[in-house]
Amino acid sequence: MPPKRFDQARPFLTLIVIVIAWLVVPVVVKTFTRASFIELQAPITVAASYARDLQEYWTLRLHSNSELIEAGRDLARLTATYEYSVQQNATLQAEVARLEELLKLPAYANYRPEYARVVRRDFSGWWQQLTIRKGRNYGIPVGAPVIFSGGVVGRVSEVRAYTAVVELISNPGVRLASVIEGETQPISFQGGINATFDAPRGVIEFVPLSVFASAAMPKRLVTSGLGGVFPPGLSLGTVTKVEPSADGLFKSGEVQLDPRLSTLTEVTVLVPLNPE
Amino acid sequence: MATHDTNLAERSGSLVQSHKNYQPRVVFFYFVILALLLTLGGGLAYQQLLNRDRHRDTERVQNQRRILVPGPRGNIYDREGRLLVGNRARFSVVLYLDELRAEFRREFIRIRKNYRETGDKDLPNSAQMEEIAHTTVVQRYLDQVNDILHRAVSVDRTDLKKHFDRQLLLPYTLIDDLEPGDYARLVEHLPVRSPLQVMASSTRFYPYGSAAAHTLGYVGVDSDIDVEDFPGEDLKTFKMKGTLGRDGLEKVFDTQLQGEAGGTIFRVDPTGYKINPPLEKRLPVQGKNLVTTLDIDLQQVAEEAIGDRIGTAVALDVRTGEVLVLANKPDYNLSDTSPHISQQTWQDIIDRNALLNQAIGGAYPAGSTFKILTAIAGLRSGRLDPDQVIVDCDGVVKIGNKLFYCSNGNGHHHEITLADAISHSCDIYFYEAGRLITPDILAAEGRRFHLDQRTGIELPNETSRMVMPTPEWKEEKMGERWFPGDTANMAIGQGYVLVTPLDMACFVASVARNEVYTKPTLLHRPNAPVQHSEPIGLTDAQRAVLLHGMEGTTIYGSAKDINKLPLYHVPVRMAGKTGTAQKRVVKDGQLGTINFAWYICFAPIEKPEIAVAVMLEGETLGEAFQGGLNATPVANLILKKYFEKRDHPSPFVSPLKTP
Repeated sequence: MPPKRFDQARPFLTLIVIVIAWLVVPVVVKTFTRASFIELQAPITVAASYARDLQEYWTLRLHSNSELIEAGRDLARLTATYEYSVQQNATLQAEVARLEELLKLPAYANYRPEYARVVRRDFSGWWQQLTIRKGRNYGIPVGAPVIFSGGVVGRVSEVRAYTAVVELISNPGVRLASVIEGETQPISFQGGINATFDAPRGVIEFVPLSVFASAAMPKRLVTSGLGGVFPPGLSLGTVTKVEPSADGLFKSGEVQLDPRLSTLTEVTVLVPLNPE
Repeated sequence: MATHDTNLAERSGSLVQSHKNYQPRVVFFYFVILALLLTLGGGLAYQQLLNRDRHRDTERVQNQRRILVPGPRGNIYDREGRLLVGNRARFSVVLYLDELRAEFRREFIRIRKNYRETGDKDLPNSAQMEEIAHTTVVQRYLDQVNDILHRAVSVDRTDLKKHFDRQLLLPYTLIDDLEPGDYARLVEHLPVRSPLQVMASSTRFYPYGSAAAHTLGYVGVDSDIDVEDFPGEDLKTFKMKGTLGRDGLEKVFDTQLQGEAGGTIFRVDPTGYKINPPLEKRLPVQGKNLVTTLDIDLQQVAEEAIGDRIGTAVALDVRTGEVLVLANKPDYNLSDTSPHISQQTWQDIIDRNALLNQAIGGAYPAGSTFKILTAIAGLRSGRLDPDQVIVDCDGVVKIGNKLFYCSNGNGHHHEITLADAISHSCDIYFYEAGRLITPDILAAEGRRFHLDQRTGIELPNETSRMVMPTPEWKEEKMGERWFPGDTANMAIGQGYVLVTPLDMACFVASVARNEVYTKPTLLHRPNAPVQHSEPIGLTDAQRAVLLHGMEGTTIYGSAKDINKLPLYHVPVRMAGKTGTAQKRVVKDGQLGTINFAWYICFAPIEKPEIAVAVMLEGETLGEAFQGGLNATPVANLILKKYFEKRDHPSPFVSPLKTP
């Protein structure tokens, strides 16, 4: 009887031994184990994303020629529009550079764009993050800003060998300096508490009392460029509500973020060329 | 077995016997134990039931702490809703020490271990090592901030120790008053969940710098803020610094402007660190806003016109007594007083005597502007006939044993009537008028116009040194009898006559309304009713003579030069009176005379709207500093701006409502 009793308890004892062993194992070992686990898991995630790309490719291949021709025509129109915008931007950038030179203003940081596919999305109430298919292998640093055609996506929070994790701006753990279009005073933007699958929202604080915005008269919120991480003028979302805070000193408000944040397939990481 | 049983019976019998022998003592001890138990039970009941509330209070006081946060002050606006004093955000980066308990402990252990390993016998004691640990950890966090802001700030150990000793529950400020760029960098670089946070507080903001500095006033630090109807008065309380009005409207309306303080009650652990969440919390509320009667456009014009000279200008709405302008020079930049006044700034303000609000705090001889009162007294008492020539001014007259000169019009006004005497400010005429009227009647008229009293304007430090002298007053105050020369001097606003510039502004506003009293106010009420007081009591003809004389001042009299300058031209009829008062002073070791240049006026004559009084103080002994030359342009610029605005009014900006 006693040996049988011991056999029954063995799994629990093993678990206890493992837990105790894990507790006393040095931090370096733990970090290494965790990193190894993630790096070993990464190829599976990346492979799944490649499989999805392949799936999309074959889905597109199945489209009729006329659909492809229409899509190509739309794309050509879009490209023409973008070409025009690019030319306008180039002119404006030259003008800005001239004025900066004239006023002896310090230049904003320069960035190298690194385009990356999204391999995984996590929009639970807790995490609000993306995993992209580029990491240290493309020189992506922690903290780098990530953008898409609609504005700011978030910032890189973790970099692995072949992947990187991007915390979305809808994440309450992301905070950055922003300005309401037409204003000069920088205000604080922070991701809001977003329920899973809800429209992403953020909050703004320290808004001057002179600022008014509502759902009927929304105002655009853009990056300030003063924080040193994000370049200026990138869209963050739309301020749909501001109301005085109880201290009477500022207002606080809500920001409606771009709903496309939850369906992104490709983003651009801005890698600083001259990091501080 | 039988033997064994027998022995057992014997032994048990003996035991019973012995037990029976000791029974009384055992019973006694029963009672003793019972008594002890009752005592214990009673004590327990006493402590747990009867003293329960007391113990609960003791425990509460021991384990709970209260933090009070001041509410932001209310804003101050001008009459058109423009912000004169507001609050600006003052960002600082702070460290929440209560979140660093474990880190402090680890650092303490590490420091102790290092000292022990060195084998040094001269080890610091535990408190010293704790202080070193605190400084090291805080500096580590400050270095993070330094990296972000590219600074090299070090922790002030004394300040940190003081904070630990006295204000442990409050966040420790590492860097105060951040620039917007620094604030933006910290917001973007500091982790959201970190003991390091950017905190915003409120400090006074003055969009117009030094404009109306004496009227608006400044605030100082209030270390003893209070909160009403918030529990925990008996708890140990930490108070964040608030503000207290020290001068001007900030002082007088401090109660209204003060916000309602907020508060938080936390439970703390035995080492004094707070335990979240708070047990009680109330957010601070901003104080009430104040809408003043000042017009910042006029105020700025007046201050610019006075420039670097010493002096003051007051403009009143004749109808309501609302103060449109209350300008004083020298002044100080209110922005230099916020968030606190540096020792250097304070010394500079004192050295320049820039704190004095001359409009209400200084008493000056009124000079010839007083002749309006003399004229009114003479007309009302019947001692002056407007058409009668009472003197032949050849520039000098002997009164008593002294020669009295006419200081105006090159001293040759010849035969002159009242209206011209006012226009040309003929001293000789008014010497004689004073003799006819008598000092008692003059003083009574002055008192009737409240020139000997405080105006009661909503500002602190209004002087009470005004004097409307009489022979009795001189006898009482100086022990001397009244001379005819005293009457002559009094009639032209010299001698012992002392008034404030605000008094004279109220006086001329009263004259404009044909009444004797104007109550000035700095509180703007839309559609404020027209003030009314006792009529002066002049007949229409007498009033016409008075106004004719005052208008003549601005056309051909002592202020005539002003209308030659197109810049100063005011396209309305104006009634005015210049004045140049002298005062003997010792300056830089030399005895001499300085002049006070006065000008009082109102406009338009037909339907008066605005009254102005300007007084500028000459700075050089013996300088030809005159009302007509120096004070009049200031008033004219104010009037010009006033009538420009009246004809082209700016839209009213509604002040933000006080929550």
